[in-house]
Amino acid sequence: MQDLLWLIPALPLLGFLVLFATEGRLPDKMVGVIGAGSVGLAALVALVVGLDFHQSGQPSYAQNLWTWMAVGGFAPAVTLYLDDLSLVMTGVITGVGFLIHVFATGYMWQDLDEPSSRDAAPKARKEGYSRFFAYMNLFVFAMLMLVLGDNLLTLFLGWEGVGLCSYLLIGFYHRDAANGYAARKAFVVTRVGDTLMALGLFLLFREIGTLEIQSALAKAGELDAGMATAIGLLLLGGAVGKSAQVPLQTWLPDAMAGPTPVSALIHAATMVTAGVYLIARMKGIYALSETAQLAVAVVGLATLFISSFTALAQTDIKRILAYSTMSQIGYMFMALGVGAWSAAIFHLMTHAFFKALLFLASGSVILALHHEQDIFKMGGLWRKLPVPFYSMLIGSGALVALPWVTSGFFSKDAILLTAYGHGEYGWLFWLGGVAAATMTALYTTRMMVVAFFGETKIEPHDRSRINMWGPLAVLSALSVFGGYLGIGILDDLLGAVDHIPHSHPAAIATMLLPLLGILVGVFVFSGRLDIRALVDSSLGDALRRFWHSGWAFDWVYDHAFVKPFVWAARVNKADAVDFVYRAVAAVTRGFYHIGALTQTGRLRWYAANMTIGLILMFLIVLEML
Amino acid sequence: MAIAVPIEYVLGVAMLLFLLGLLGVLVRRNVMFLLMSLEVMMNAAGLAFIAAGARWGVPDGQIMFMFILALAAAEVAVALGLVLQISRRFGTLDIDAANELSG
Amino acid sequence: MNADLLLFWIPAAVAVVSTFLVVTRKNASHALVYLVVSLLSVAVIFFVLGAPFAAALEVVIYAGAIVVLFLFVVMMLNLGRSSVLRESRWLQPGMWIGPGILVVVLFLSMVYVLAGSVHETKGVMVGPDAVGRSLFGPYLLAVELAGFLLLAALVGAYHLGRRYLEERRETPAGSGDD
Repeated sequence: MQDLLWLIPALPLLGFLVLFATEGRLPDKMVGVIGAGSVGLAALVALVVGLDFHQSGQPSYAQNLWTWMAVGGFAPAVTLYLDDLSLVMTGVITGVGFLIHVFATGYMWQDLDEPSSRDAAPKARKEGYSRFFAYMNLFVFAMLMLVLGDNLLTLFLGWEGVGLCSYLLIGFYHRDAANGYAARKAFVVTRVGDTLMALGLFLLFREIGTLEIQSALAKAGELDAGMATAIGLLLLGGAVGKSAQVPLQTWLPDAMAGPTPVSALIHAATMVTAGVYLIARMKGIYALSETAQLAVAVVGLATLFISSFTALAQTDIKRILAYSTMSQIGYMFMALGVGAWSAAIFHLMTHAFFKALLFLASGSVILALHHEQDIFKMGGLWRKLPVPFYSMLIGSGALVALPWVTSGFFSKDAILLTAYGHGEYGWLFWLGGVAAATMTALYTTRMMVVAFFGETKIEPHDRSRINMWGPLAVLSALSVFGGYLGIGILDDLLGAVDHIPHSHPAAIATMLLPLLGILVGVFVFSGRLDIRALVDSSLGDALRRFWHSGWAFDWVYDHAFVKPFVWAARVNKADAVDFVYRAVAAVTRGFYHIGALTQTGRLRWYAANMTIGLILMFLIVLEML
Repeated sequence: MAIAVPIEYVLGVAMLLFLLGLLGVLVRRNVMFLLMSLEVMMNAAGLAFIAAGARWGVPDGQIMFMFILALAAAEVAVALGLVLQISRRFGTLDIDAANELSG
Repeated sequence: MNADLLLFWIPAAVAVVSTFLVVTRKNASHALVYLVVSLLSVAVIFFVLGAPFAAALEVVIYAGAIVVLFLFVVMMLNLGRSSVLRESRWLQPGMWIGPGILVVVLFLSMVYVLAGSVHETKGVMVGPDAVGRSLFGPYLLAVELAGFLLLAALVGAYHLGRRYLEERRETPAGSGDD
């Protein structure tokens, strides 16, 4: 059964090709069936293949499809490679992806029906529905190639493919220029990381002579320490760009311009975790370099710290979730940095469950409120929108890692406790992580309390049917029980996490501090504890605005890169490089004018010139000239 | 009947005829004379071929002459049609009037 | 000098003189008659060189068919006395200088090449029999190509000539020249 592996990426690709070729001429129902069905079938195949793989007991399974190209000694093959890591990733991508696709069949249907929708014209609506699923299927295909490729070249192909789909889907409502700007920003910022990653790949190829992951890792021992550090840092650059970590995180909040299922699938569950996958995949390189591994941990810590404070000051529900995504991925990076590889992947999986749940539930809320995303304009929704509310509640519980009852607890706990025991300064990482976890509890409570309790401000219209609340229910269940799933299966697959016991004081603190955050949050945001004076003080206001702007990263980048670039472009409007080409053209034109003088159109003049030429040839032949 | 002639003499005569034709092409402005001069030049080339064939006593020279003949016939047919068009369009046979291809 | 060579020199002299007259005549009909003389004398040279079939073709096709074509066109264009006057206007004596120099230089260089060596021809007759065997043997492909060329010329000449005639019919007053 394992040889069905190629079907997993092939099915979404087929779905994409069908939807792409028919250009929205298919009935909407069939579009939904093809779009979600192709991913669903892929999930089914993944399940079958995964079980078979698990039973076979082999460490890995490779399926060679064809040789991409053969140039000299360089012959990268397109080979699908299945091991524990890629199996977990494939399961998340196809499984969570399928649920999100099913949700999207309902969400996009209603969304494109909205009078306020920018694609309201019937034809555009139909076309938009089909286009959406075509892009989504293409994304799933690219993401699967990313995780299943046994070659860094295939991985890079998928890497750029998901970047492209991200760009296309952020700018899905392309009639609004702001969305196009957000899409461009995401594309350009991740491009910075991708360039670093490409450089890392070049360096790796030059040093080791292969891009095949397994043989590259086997030969990695030949690298000297400096080179391993350089490659590790360059690959980290790529991961940072894709996973929206500091300092390349600024694109993710703007990426929320896309439809909410896109945010759930691409910008929470799968694509943004590609960086985590990359580093986990290349852990052999990082094992060689203390510096690179430390850098991973520091990046993760900085991101989770910065973004959890930023989330506290946001008012847009999707932006809050975007910043929380950044901080959760920060945990994963920190886990990678402290050597808790399997904990990172564990958290990746549970995060995919609960963050997809949170995004989809918030999507239901947004849809019911006719595209109102400001939590301060919501309120009192918990009675009116029970399914989204309970989904959000479960997702939030997992996000703040409520002890023992949510999946997020197990994975986050594993990360923090491993960090605590890691080396001399491990407790610093632990401290930062726990502080950020407390902040996470605070802003999540704020979001829940403000949006779902208090007085009703907008009357919601919930039109969701089973294709929308069904995925929510499944994801809720996964968010609760996914932790046991992880303990049971993941340890088996990826190796148990070795961390300090739960009876340790630090472990108890890790458990209790988020609860404190929730307590404070409930008191503060339900108005029972008045801190208005503190917030409105000049320092508080400045801090709030600083956090709201995402620690002013956008401002800094705008002044450091965008403005100087625009200035340079304006100064160089005439393009100094073009001058050379224009000069070439001018010289050519000059010769043309000279040559045109001989074209008199007079036949006898031509004949005379031919005669002169004949004479000259004679003289040359006779060696008189 | 055939006699042995030094080939240089024949080639000299062919050259002379060719150059007279060239002179006509260069000097005459009337298209009719131009075409006649061209015929003279081709005929001279044919003479050179015949001479070369006679030098070795093989038929190839005559065959080349026949191809020149076919070429001349084809050329004259098209060229005379063009002469009619030129006289129709420009109202004159002056080849210098038909200089619309000037750069 | 061998007396036999007179058989070559006499037609050669006639050919050169008559060709010179072709180039210098002002009346097209006169020039055509001199062209016929030139072609006929070249035919004699062919015969002397031992190419009787080529000589016959020269007479039949060149002096016959091609020159007759020229004559038809001269008649159609109605080149009369006025065209002779115009020719003398066009043919200023000064116009001969430049082309004359070029031609003389070419002639001198050719003489330089040919001077000094003597290679006699075989002096044998190569009759139509040998020519035909060769033509439809090794040169068959070239014959086919020549056939294509003639067909193309036929179509081209028909195309050009028909438009001329149609336009003339529509505007009977226009003679096309003068």
